[in-house]
Amino acid sequence: MLSFLLWFPVIGAIIIGFLPGKIESDSLRKITTIFAVLAFTWTIWLLTQFDLSNSGWQFSEYLPWAKPIGLSYSLAVDGLSLPLVTLNSLLTIIAIYSIGENVERPRLYYSLILLINAGITGALIAQNLLLFVIFYELELIPFYLMIAIWGGEKRGYAATKFLIYTAVSGLLVLAAFLGIGFLNGASSFDYNAIATQGLPLNTQLILLTVLLVGFGMKIPLVPLHTWLPDAYTEASPAVTILLGGILAKLGTYGLIRFGLQLFPETWSIVAPGLAAIGTFSVLYGALSAIAQKDIKRMVAYSSIGHMGYILVATAAGTELSILGAVAQMIAHGLILALLFHLVGIVERKVGTRDLDVLNGLMNPIRGLPLTSALLIMAGMASAGIPGLVGFVAEFIIFQGSFSIFPIPTLLCIIASGLTAVYFVILLNRTCFGKLDNKLAYYPQVLRSESIPAFVLTVIILFLGIQPNWLLRWIEPTTNLLAVNVNHTEQLAVISNQQSIINK
Amino acid sequence: MVQTPINSTAKIPPSTHQFADVIHRLEAGGSMLPDTPENLMQIIGIYKAYAVPMDFYWRDLLYIAERVFLEPLPFFKYFLPQEYLDLHNHYAGDDADLRIWRGEATAHPELLEFMEKGTTSKMPKLFHHLWHDRINMEFAEACMRAMLWHGRDMGWGKFDAYLDTEEYQANADRAIKAYFKSNPAMLGLYKLFPDMFLEQVRQLSYYSNLGLFWEVMAPVFFEMSDIYDEGGFKGVPDAMDFLVNGIFAVAGRPIYHHAYIGGECYEIIPKSKGFTWLYEAALPYVEAVFYRTAPFRGTKSYNAQAKQVPDEQKDFHYGILYADVFPVGTAGIPPTLLMDDMYHFLPDYLQEYYQQHCRGEEDILIQLGITFQRSMYNVTSAVIQALRQALLYPLDDQNPKHLLKNRQFFESQMDRFLRPEARLKDIQSQSYC
Amino acid sequence: MADIVDIAVKTEDFSTLVTAVKEANLVEALKSPGPFTVFAPNNAAFAKLPPGTIQTLIQNTPQLARILTYHVVSGKLMKADLAQVNSVISLEGSPISIDCSDGFEVKNATVIAADVEADNGVIHVIDNVILMG
Repeated sequence: MLSFLLWFPVIGAIIIGFLPGKIESDSLRKITTIFAVLAFTWTIWLLTQFDLSNSGWQFSEYLPWAKPIGLSYSLAVDGLSLPLVTLNSLLTIIAIYSIGENVERPRLYYSLILLINAGITGALIAQNLLLFVIFYELELIPFYLMIAIWGGEKRGYAATKFLIYTAVSGLLVLAAFLGIGFLNGASSFDYNAIATQGLPLNTQLILLTVLLVGFGMKIPLVPLHTWLPDAYTEASPAVTILLGGILAKLGTYGLIRFGLQLFPETWSIVAPGLAAIGTFSVLYGALSAIAQKDIKRMVAYSSIGHMGYILVATAAGTELSILGAVAQMIAHGLILALLFHLVGIVERKVGTRDLDVLNGLMNPIRGLPLTSALLIMAGMASAGIPGLVGFVAEFIIFQGSFSIFPIPTLLCIIASGLTAVYFVILLNRTCFGKLDNKLAYYPQVLRSESIPAFVLTVIILFLGIQPNWLLRWIEPTTNLLAVNVNHTEQLAVISNQQSIINK
Repeated sequence: MVQTPINSTAKIPPSTHQFADVIHRLEAGGSMLPDTPENLMQIIGIYKAYAVPMDFYWRDLLYIAERVFLEPLPFFKYFLPQEYLDLHNHYAGDDADLRIWRGEATAHPELLEFMEKGTTSKMPKLFHHLWHDRINMEFAEACMRAMLWHGRDMGWGKFDAYLDTEEYQANADRAIKAYFKSNPAMLGLYKLFPDMFLEQVRQLSYYSNLGLFWEVMAPVFFEMSDIYDEGGFKGVPDAMDFLVNGIFAVAGRPIYHHAYIGGECYEIIPKSKGFTWLYEAALPYVEAVFYRTAPFRGTKSYNAQAKQVPDEQKDFHYGILYADVFPVGTAGIPPTLLMDDMYHFLPDYLQEYYQQHCRGEEDILIQLGITFQRSMYNVTSAVIQALRQALLYPLDDQNPKHLLKNRQFFESQMDRFLRPEARLKDIQSQSYC
Repeated sequence: MADIVDIAVKTEDFSTLVTAVKEANLVEALKSPGPFTVFAPNNAAFAKLPPGTIQTLIQNTPQLARILTYHVVSGKLMKADLAQVNSVISLEGSPISIDCSDGFEVKNATVIAADVEADNGVIHVIDNVILMG
């Protein structure tokens, strides 16, 4: 079942890549949409089949592959990965419709989108550390090509920077995994065969640090973030949606899956530091966003801030905070996708992203009224206005983390106020004011461009009002994770005490 | 579009004005609007679309001035009775004083059809009214108010000055007392605040003024549309000349205000005052509505302390010649109301034209607003040429001194379009749409 | 000598003006002692007006009278007197500009026969109907 999800887009990509004859960009898009929609339908079906009372792995598949190096073709999902798989399938459809009708080299473009979809799905459903790394590294190739070919002015620079950072990230992750495997002497890298409990605390710490730096680049956390503004800004809206909406989530996914789950003993040691970095990211992202003149860059920095919440929540490691972290991954993926999609529309129609030039897009007849209205909606969602999904996630995070890290949580709450500041700046300059007569000959927004935004808005609104539909899939798994952490935290404290006594 | 300037420029040196090309065009008998077939098609089409609601405006304005009068709660002032729909226009039909339009004198058939069905379906008038599926009389009232407000210092005609005379006050007093003769409460109020009612009557006099003005313009525009459909106009100057001749033909039409109270006619402003259509209605109308008016609520914020609003009324520049048409669609502002009214009566060729430009159907109100702006530049050109003809010299005058006077006149008129808000520069190009 | 109206009636070139004055019921006034200065447009001047103008004015005598009184100034002003001033106020109330610097021009009309004296004033024949404003 999961194999279908993995290989179906690949088959799609191959078909599109090797279709004989000259095909219009538009019909290629339709074909791609069919594949993406089928994959999405499949994930929806999985959601309905998913056993909510089971917190463990489901839909497992296992095929031995390269036994000597411990690699196996082993797939499964749980409450942590399934929502992200669904998000991935959804955003792929959105991305297909967020670049406009005519794409250069459509054949390559659309097959790469499907390959990205497959790569990310693979990483999310992999049950083997090495398999995860393979997918984690593989999807860099289509991403690199997407930025380098269809990006903006400085696309070469941005693509290279992105590639270097994320490839290093992959190498570090791989190094950490190999370390875990070899030090454990495990014969397999399958998740259920791997554990770190037997290792000395120092070794665990080193491995965890390497892993954290690796994933930190992907998320990215503040000192490691510099690839993000360039990549997000230079990439086409479609790529940005996939980058920010789902690729960055692989970092936080890894953080929970491999950091929290594999290192329950050491987690409590690094947690305060992580919380501090997370809080710093949140503040840094918000303050940088306020200073931006380019709306896409502004949204990119906002993304850094919002990913910081996930880190703080993951660091706290309570039932509620982890639930919030996963909810925030989904919420942020949806909201960021909506924001980038709309910013993409604005850029395509108006021809600029400069806050000093944009004005009066709310004009009901000659502006982009629908786009502006949805942009306001997206801004509110991102700023965590109640009734929208962003609020649900942030609220759970704050509630869950406060007991563990009161000061960082309070700072995060303040920063979420700053979110409102830069969105008010963005909306005020872009949507309100008087439309400039000399410029007001923008082309119309096509229905194929506005429908994806509508779909995202409806989901954001629905999940904001009825968060259970989001949380019910996540909760059992995150509860289990938190139990593990708390349990081992006590263990770690005891063992620490023992080691002190022994000395 | 290239016009060979007639001998005027040969006799006097070319103008150095910023709008020299427009001035030379005016001196050659042209319009401020460039002479292109596209412009001609647009302005004639919009005249037609304007004339139909105008046929309602003038009838209702007169109805309000003459019959509704001081009704304290005028809920039904936009409900035009059959009597006023059948009222014969003095410039159309067989019994016209001067037949300008060859069509009928009663309300235009397209107007009647729209009043019956609207954009929805046939239903009682009240529902059409509440659903706002009707002619937007609010626009006409906004024009009337602009004339009332600017009337004082316009420099044209004697109408507004007359409203302050004792003679007028005595006439109004008689009408007010007659109107409220069975309403002691209102009579008591009149005793307490006589000026309040007087001011209302002054406003009603402007209702009458504007109604009588538009009674002429509607058939003029209908006739222009018919002539165009018959292939009659060769270019924009032809259309302008028709307007100039129209202005002269009805210049002497009396402007008055009669109120019918209890079956009796009260002459608040009698015809015998000698007020004429040209001096007391047309010229003040152009000045107040085309040039000045006032900023519309909801389109832009102005800071009076920062001198964003002129100190002097004469410096106001918010009329259609300066208007920014792009905020059209903002709730309830008069230009939007007019665009909406005209939208119902666009001729097919104009409808088709808009579908092919900019955003087609979606921004049609703005497109027709800009067409309207073009067409009003043409009307203003006609007024400028008429003034030149009435007060100055023929374009082919042999005396260079006379030509220089004409030049000065045109230049002083163009000076009014030097301010940045003016759209004269924009309408020179077809890409403004 | 004859009064202003008599002179006008006798002159063939004033037939339109005379008709207009009769229509506007101004005969009595112009026969009064005055004295008046009349700028009298000849038939050619009226013919220059666009079609319909006269028809509308004939239908509306107060309005016609107003236009005609614009051509009348109180007092007997000869060409020599008018050369001293820039403008005079008409009976209608609006000013009439006078330009004697180069020939004898009244607003946008040229005087083609000046100083035609009558009992109760003087007539200057002009080649244009002059209008207020």
